Amino acid sequence: MAQWVTIDPITRIEGHLRIDVEVDGGRVRNAWSSGQMFRGIEKILIGRDPRDAWLFTQRFCGVCTTVHAIASVRAVENALNLAIPLNAQYIRNLILCAHAIHDHIVHFYHLSALDFVDVVSALKADPAKAASIAEGLSNWPGNNRAAFAAVKEKLQGFVDAGQLGIFSNGYWGHPAMKLAPEVNLIAVSHYLEALEYQRRINQVVAVLGSKTPNIQNLAVGGVANAINLDNMATLNMQKLYQVKSLLDEVKAFIEQVYLVDVAVVAASYPEWLSYGKGVTNYMAVPDLPLDGAGTQFDLPGGVIWGGDLTGVKPITKFGDEYFRDGVTENVTHAWYAGTDTKHPFEGETNPAYSDFDAKGKYSWIKAPRFQGKPMQVGPLADVLVGYALKHAPTVKWVSKFVEMASGIARTRLGLDVMHSTLGRHAARAIRCAIISDLSIRHWELLVGNISKGDVTIWNKPEFPSGEQQGFGFHEAPRGALSHWIVIRDGKIKNYQAVVPSTWNAGPRDENGEVGPYEASLVGNPVAKADAPLEVLRTVHSFDPCIACAIHTQDVDGTSIATVKAL
Amino acid sequence: MLAPVRIVGLGNVLMGDDAFGPAVVTAMVDRYAFGEDVEVIDLGTPGGDLVPHLAGASLLVVVDTVRSGAAPGTVQVFTRDALLKGDLQPRVSPHDPGLKNALLLLEFGGQAPAEVFLVGVVPEKVASWPGLTPVVAAAIDPAIDAVLSLLAERGIQPSRRESPSHTAPWWNAAVDGFTTFAL
Repeated sequence: MAQWVTIDPITRIEGHLRIDVEVDGGRVRNAWSSGQMFRGIEKILIGRDPRDAWLFTQRFCGVCTTVHAIASVRAVENALNLAIPLNAQYIRNLILCAHAIHDHIVHFYHLSALDFVDVVSALKADPAKAASIAEGLSNWPGNNRAAFAAVKEKLQGFVDAGQLGIFSNGYWGHPAMKLAPEVNLIAVSHYLEALEYQRRINQVVAVLGSKTPNIQNLAVGGVANAINLDNMATLNMQKLYQVKSLLDEVKAFIEQVYLVDVAVVAASYPEWLSYGKGVTNYMAVPDLPLDGAGTQFDLPGGVIWGGDLTGVKPITKFGDEYFRDGVTENVTHAWYAGTDTKHPFEGETNPAYSDFDAKGKYSWIKAPRFQGKPMQVGPLADVLVGYALKHAPTVKWVSKFVEMASGIARTRLGLDVMHSTLGRHAARAIRCAIISDLSIRHWELLVGNISKGDVTIWNKPEFPSGEQQGFGFHEAPRGALSHWIVIRDGKIKNYQAVVPSTWNAGPRDENGEVGPYEASLVGNPVAKADAPLEVLRTVHSFDPCIACAIHTQDVDGTSIATVKAL
Repeated sequence: MLAPVRIVGLGNVLMGDDAFGPAVVTAMVDRYAFGEDVEVIDLGTPGGDLVPHLAGASLLVVVDTVRSGAAPGTVQVFTRDALLKGDLQPRVSPHDPGLKNALLLLEFGGQAPAEVFLVGVVPEKVASWPGLTPVVAAAIDPAIDAVLSLLAERGIQPSRRESPSHTAPWWNAAVDGFTTFAL
């Protein structure tokens, strides 16, 4: 008999992702993805100075701060047809790279790995055996018997104290968990090490962006990082070399630990290389511009239809007409008035809330479409578009990953396994390695340009009277992000953000066609309806981020003091 | 490197009373000068990205909105135990984790702050709007007092600035249709 499963555990807090699945015969037959929070934050921007917009947009989301700041300044620069100095471009690129690396490492280790790693099982591991497995896969210095024994002891201490702390909400002992105890122990050890590399890459954002989260160094027209190699207060060689060594250290972790761990998980859960396929229209926007105007990029963009890599259509520049003209949002199944399809320049945000109605309106997220079709965005789109366009760093890291995972699985894996739940995790690790390579290249480009005597960081924006419109895009950690602005007499007239999780988590459209989350869940196994680990595996593989706009602490306990407001 | 004592404001400045934490730390920096061992910082709503900002602190005081059942505008001080009591919720979005997850993760990693307090206010209105309701704006001063007494109990005395600006924070700058609030 069919069962209806609603995963909405945090109903006490507004603003979360709710997933409903209809399960029949142990498989998902139909799915609904619902954003439970009204955003509409764009309305706050109307009437403001476009030069200030990025300060507000980077507060849309507390996790994706930098990406909304970058997309916003790019949108205003596009509306003004304003190129920025090379130094500014490279500094922005370095911040983008560091932010993306940070985001990917955290997503895998601290937010998703426990979908596949059974922490409690690690207590049964033999540290010596774990060391011999790990040493066979990588030269990482942290892979040794003493380190694994120490982690096991620490974990045992937690369990003996009757608490699992951070691991208390995991699905331990779930029938869908399959890793050997030793592999689980290796993963827990790397989970702890990842904390340190998260800190190091975050330092890069802090040094270049002046503060993290919420960087302070951006400006429409460039950046505010004064460059003077002889001045301690400005961006100088000492700070640049600090950035370089952090980038090098994190690169080693990505290549010797992160990529390897994902390959082990992929090889150990081969069935998850077939579940979770969903929408195979992919879109990625180009990023890491190499010139001031954004006509050449180090990361390519493009569109793939129906998984056909040979027909990839490139997106080539800031202001790209193919991208600009193809994007719409439909509200038939979203809690906004009417059933309209609108281009973001004309986008409206008029809420019309009703109850969750699987046949009618059921989400605060609009349904974005490209040329009328749902698109999957994110690292998988990024990697497939790069591979289709024969982008050398992408081809290199895809080949390395496939070779490694095939070796561990003792079977030849093809590129087709990428269209899956674990394919998205693999693509994220591959993208992280690509970006890590490119971060060092952009550091060299920046230092090379400064060495030529160029210290320019900002071109002054001029706002003509009348109306201008523009859009800025950024290939963010979760995929194609675009901000759309209409400026009238130097003030913001309209502003819309089409964010990656909207592309992926959006609801059905006017034709009843499902969004990427919804499509990817159909056919997923569900062993235990009351512990739908498998559904979470697929949803987590997209790295959803729709919930972070508000944040209230739930307190379960008594206060030590109540302070009266006078 | 971050200073050992950290006063952290959490909340989304674009979501009405959720801006309480950032508003309190902004007002504190405006009114007081802190020594080098104290970091006073508005961290927004960083979810799991809180971790590096909390690691290794000797004292962590978080200022945020709370859901405690008390009336809007009530300022309450909670200990680490009150904050960590109760099970973690299963995760749907990987960005659900907040303060509780960050603290538990650091405990497992051995870098948890030595002392943790939460100075919380119960919000009245959390919606897309860059301002505070009057009852929550009035809670800024009591919340600052609560933070200062936690510091004083540990021998930390920031010095009062001679001429604080008391101006509205950047996110509350006047635009047609929005009222500002003074700090």
